[in-house]
Parts: sequence; C-alpha cells; structure tokens
Amino acid sequence: MDFDTERGPVGRGGLLLGLLGLAAAAWFLLGRGGAPPAGGTLARARAEGVIRVAYANEAPFGYEDPATGRVTGEAPEIARVLFARLGIPRIEPTVADFGALIDGLKAGRWDVVAAGMYITPRRCREVAFSNPTYVVREALLVRAGNPLGLDGYGSLGAHATARLAVLGGSVQDAYARKLGVPDARIEVFADYATALVALRAGRVDALAATRLTAADLLRKAGTGLEAAEPFEEPVIDGKVVRGHGAFAFRPADVELRAAFDAELAGFLGTPEHLELVAPFGFGPHTLPGEATAAELCAAR
Amino acid sequence: MTVVQGLPYLLQGLGPTLLLFLGGAVGALGLAFAAGLLLRSPDPVLRGAARSYVGLFRGWPVLILLFWLYFVFPPMLGIAWGAYPIGIGALALNGGAYGEEIVRGALAAVPRGQGDAARALGLTRGQVLRCILLPQAFVAMLPPLGNLMVELLKATALVSVIAVPDLLGRALRWRDDELGRVGVIFLLVLVVYFALGQAVRLAFVILERRAGRFRAAEPGR
Repeated sequence: MDFDTERGPVGRGGLLLGLLGLAAAAWFLLGRGGAPPAGGTLARARAEGVIRVAYANEAPFGYEDPATGRVTGEAPEIARVLFARLGIPRIEPTVADFGALIDGLKAGRWDVVAAGMYITPRRCREVAFSNPTYVVREALLVRAGNPLGLDGYGSLGAHATARLAVLGGSVQDAYARKLGVPDARIEVFADYATALVALRAGRVDALAATRLTAADLLRKAGTGLEAAEPFEEPVIDGKVVRGHGAFAFRPADVELRAAFDAELAGFLGTPEHLELVAPFGFGPHTLPGEATAAELCAAR
Repeated sequence: MTVVQGLPYLLQGLGPTLLLFLGGAVGALGLAFAAGLLLRSPDPVLRGAARSYVGLFRGWPVLILLFWLYFVFPPMLGIAWGAYPIGIGALALNGGAYGEEIVRGALAAVPRGQGDAARALGLTRGQVLRCILLPQAFVAMLPPLGNLMVELLKATALVSVIAVPDLLGRALRWRDDELGRVGVIFLLVLVVYFALGQAVRLAFVILERRAGRFRAAEPGR
C-alpha cells in the first residue's frame, strides 16, 4: 500500500514540518534531563498504604500463581512482610519482562523491583539495591543425556557449534560473553518459557539460569531435559561467581532503601524468614551471610 | 492447572482486551475523520498538520510507540500516564493514521459533479459535506474500516508488553506456570482472538447492509 505519490497525504512540506516538530519535541524533552519522578516515595507509600512492586514472572523469585491469582515467590513474600512493618500494608504488583524491570523503575512505573535481581556493578549504576536476600549458584540446562557433553560456560566456548540461550539483560548473558562464548552463539530470549521451547526444539543446546530457576523449570517442563552434571562453576577474575539477589530501588529513594535495609537486617535468617521462603526452595543454604550491597556493587 | 481451570484465568483477559479495542477504535475513528476532513481544508497549515500526523504515525510501529510512552517519556516529563491510556492512545494514533487514508479515499471517490451541483443549488460547504458527500462516502468506507478494526483488535495484543493483563498477557503468565502446555495455551488464545475478530467483521457486514440500503432503492439501479 503506497499512496505516497506527489499528491499523496505526506507532501514534502508536511513531512518537513513533522520532522521539525519531532526534533523540537526531542530537544525540549532531552533538555529537561532524565530526572525520575520526585522523591519521597516512602512517605507517599505510607500515606497511600500501597507500594508498587514489579516482578518478572520467574519462579521461584517472583511470579503469579494462576490458580490463585496471587503474586508470590521469594521476593514478593519478603516484600509483603517488610513493607507491612514499614507501615505499608499493601503491595501493588506489576509483571514485566526481566529486561524492562530497571527501565520501568527509572520511569516511575513501579517503586521496587522484587524479582530476586542479582546485584551487579553495572546495575548499581542504574538503581540502588537493598542488601542481598539470598545467594545462589549457577546451572546449565541441556537436553536429556547431555548430547554435547557440556559442563559449563567454558565448554560452550570451546565447542565449535554449541548455542546458548540466556535471558535478555540477565547476568548469565554477561557471564557467557565474559567467559568466551562467542556473541553469534548466544541467543537472547525475553522469558525462560520461550528459551526452554528453543532448547527442546534443538534451536539452542543449553540454557543458563540460576540453580533455583533451573530446578523450577525442570519441575514444570517434565522429561527430556536435565541440569548439566558435573557443572563447572563460572569463575571470573579468580572468583567463583555466585548470584546475590536483592530488591532494587530508585537511587533517589534513599530513605526508602535505608528503611527497608534496616527491617531486612532484623529479618534475614529468622525462623519467620526461613519458613516464609522454604516453599520456594530457599533456606539456610541460600542465606547471603555478611555480603552487603555496597561491597557487591564495588566488586570487580 | 487443567485446561478447564486455566480457561477462566485466560478469559479474565477479555475485559482489558475489549477495553483496549473499544477505546482504540473510538479514538482511531475520531482521528481518522478529523485528519481526513482537515486534509480537505483550504487552510494549508491545517492540511500540513493532518499530513504530518498521518506520515509520522503510519511509519511508527505501535510497539515502539508503546515503549516510548511507557518507559521513555515519564522520567523526562515527570508524568506517568497509566498503561491503559497509553495502550489506547498508541492504538488510536496508529489506527487513525491508517483510517485517514480510508476517509480521504472514500470522500474523493464521490463524483465531483455531485458536490458542484449541490453548491450550485446554494448548499453551504458544511451542508454539502454532511448531506451529500459523507452519506455516500460512508458506505464506501465501511469495508476497509472493518478491516482496520480487525487489525486494531489484533494489535491490542502488543499492549501486553507494558504490563496490561490482556488476553495475551494472561496466556503468557499461564504458559510461564505450565511450560508443557504451550501448544494448548497458544491455540486457545488464537481461537479467542479469531472469534473476536469474526464478531467485529460480522458487525461491519451488518452495518454495510444497513448503510447501503438506500442504494437499492435508488431509481435506475
């Protein structure tokens, strides 16, 4: 359908006018800078009794249980308890693609990311993390019998054709690139469900995820897949990388994060906490110990 | 969760999908007529505005428009419209740009002599448009407008990217929960969109019959 003849709806003058308008709008907008909506989120949430929380629908970290419609998982459940203690009785959950969580936070779409997001120095430049709520190791899902004999990121890089699936914006994507898997053999997906279908169909040969996610995917996906064993832990700069998951806030919301961290410190490791997260596969073995957000942000 | 349990969950997405569709349709039709009529205006500025609108929004993917309105503008402007106004607005802006072509084409297809004759009889420009051109053009517009509305209905699925729990959003959540059922879930959601699309098509067929009745009664046909 091409109506753009000389007398078509978009004459040269009209288009020029439109482009000029667009350029003026962009100049005006960019000139105003990218400041997030005004601070005081803690005060606002207390007054309204509700805080907006985003998750990526990735069990067991944060997901909606379709049977009940409840948004649950390690992070949303901790959020409910801690925000209630901060005088905010209700959370208003929003689902988003994992890669959109930080953009939406900065855009003021939600106030907290409760998706078990790992603390990484790169993300620390965009958002302010709470202290970690768990620590977890990595895993690699492969087709049953591990036909390519993969045992870690190194084996993927060394193999001539093996293709790896990762979630867009995930740490596993960054690990793979750092550990020598060529870009051309890394397939980026928006969600694990699609990546899993690709793995099954042979479009990719491995899928990188945390151990907890991998276990959950295996439970849901049934037969035909397995976690690669043995698995060579990814080592970057001489250290085994382990994921420290936390809540993310806007950097401007200093009070909110400080208040949250204070509550978190008195909660992690208590019987109440362990009981709350046990159904999701978390427990004493996933407690983050002494690790802090500040130290994890400064790492590497 | 069995299919019998999952279906009601999926169908809860009907409300948001229909809201997006109806809001988008009303907005698109309004913009289509506004731009289509402005293009006939004697004022070059108004014509230029209508042309720029059509040129820009027809060339801008709805998906990217959604990302801009949802993620990019709020931190710049310090205001964040809700996901529904953004979804409806993006669909209306895009649909209106396509609809303008339909309105313009249908008006242009009415023989010139009719307008001239009406003017010669002393009707004002507004009367010519209202009483002579639009009633005839309207009949010619209906089939392509019906097409546009079905397109718009299907485009509502894009809005699931900005966290609206519409039919596709619900289907994706359900799929995340039950990875083994991806085929069934996407088949169900396909059937539902198809059924909705058929309903829209049928509504336009009925509308076409009613609007076209005067033709059958015309002498000499």
